Amino acid sequence: MECKTAQPLLETYLDNELARADARELEAHVDGCAECSVLLTRLDALRRALRNNGLRYTAPAELYARIAASAASVDSASGRTMPGVTSIAQSRAWRTPTPWLRYAAACVLAFGAGGVSVRLWNSTHDNANTQTQLARDLFASHWRALAATSPVDVVSSDRHTVKPWFAGKVAQAPVVQDFAEQGFALVGGRIDYAGSERMPVLVYKHGQHLIDVFVLSPNEAASLANRSAQNGYRLESLRVGDQPAVAVSDMDQVEFTRFAHLMAGTP
Amino acid sequence: MSPAATTSWIDLLVQQHLDAAYNLGRWLLGNDADASDAVHDAYLRAVRSAHTYAGGNARAWWLAIVRNCCLAKLAARKREVPLREGFDGSNVTPFARSDNEVEERVHAAQQSAHIAEQLRALPTEFRETLVLREIEDLSYREIADVLGVPIGTVMSRLARGRALLRRALAPSAGEHKYGM
Repeated sequence: MECKTAQPLLETYLDNELARADARELEAHVDGCAECSVLLTRLDALRRALRNNGLRYTAPAELYARIAASAASVDSASGRTMPGVTSIAQSRAWRTPTPWLRYAAACVLAFGAGGVSVRLWNSTHDNANTQTQLARDLFASHWRALAATSPVDVVSSDRHTVKPWFAGKVAQAPVVQDFAEQGFALVGGRIDYAGSERMPVLVYKHGQHLIDVFVLSPNEAASLANRSAQNGYRLESLRVGDQPAVAVSDMDQVEFTRFAHLMAGTP
Repeated sequence: MSPAATTSWIDLLVQQHLDAAYNLGRWLLGNDADASDAVHDAYLRAVRSAHTYAGGNARAWWLAIVRNCCLAKLAARKREVPLREGFDGSNVTPFARSDNEVEERVHAAQQSAHIAEQLRALPTEFRETLVLREIEDLSYREIADVLGVPIGTVMSRLARGRALLRRALAPSAGEHKYGM
């Protein structure tokens, strides 16, 4: 590949929209070409400037509450609710407030008058002071993995390769499952340290999101809050087979919940 | 699908992508009140037009509705939001060098505000394309669906938008900061 072919493809490559074969060819060229390599680095710097500077606005709690209120009135106005009957579908949506939605409503009551916009997630969970050292280690491990050339030590979408790889490296090799069909593809595994403990990490991909699943010992699990968040990344406890674990990713809440259900083997 | 099931489907979709909707609204309209109004309008419109959803990417369908509501608001406001002139990066403020942590934090905040400012200064079509690609992480196909333009247009807007933004951020003191 020549520079004049390569350069128009750099952005498409960085956007992950280049066909695999073309991407390989481009990588081979960039590796040996100083000029194209500088251009790619510049594009990547711009991307990081846009992604790592907290430019994403999150919906204020008032907006959640406002839409929830409309949802209720849309339903009652159109007579969709049969008296005394609550469908499963409804209980999952706005009408029966989930804990965070109830929280949103509480925020509006408390702060709405003063016009204080509350960052829902941050205020409930993102309290760095109460986070344990373990939680900080897990976030740090996730970020290190994101920054590394490869987030995994053993690359495989085959669970029969990943599980034996862990055997002998950690006391108990975790159950490894692949959920590619449900949108959570197994990427591989790695070993990481939290404190002085070796810990198996299962790595999944959901769209552009990388998910690290840290398999914990019961003691470690007990020292950790069920949920916390830092810099837009979330940590949530779940179960891998009969072992406690936590997932760290920048997925949103709904996807987290779906993933936790899959991992636990409950539909 | 029963009406109740339709409502619930929309509600879940909106819930899941409320941040994405609000973020797009904020970047298009520039303030919280208008962005919240537009997203609320979009929700009502989505419920009304749920039966017109013909399959395909639901997030793109929802964000397209949000965008239409934002554009309607922009039109109603009848004033130019994008600063099409004077956009040459000459208003870049040089950053002071810092040694201690407090200064570095201030510095990081300045840098972040500076990038936001330059993104805000981009013409709407480049700004929205960059926001959808870089902040919301949408694919070319999804962006094309939201904006109602061909994929080729998405690609050329991204290229142009990035070039403009880089030029705005790169000159003088910004250069060593962003490596571009």
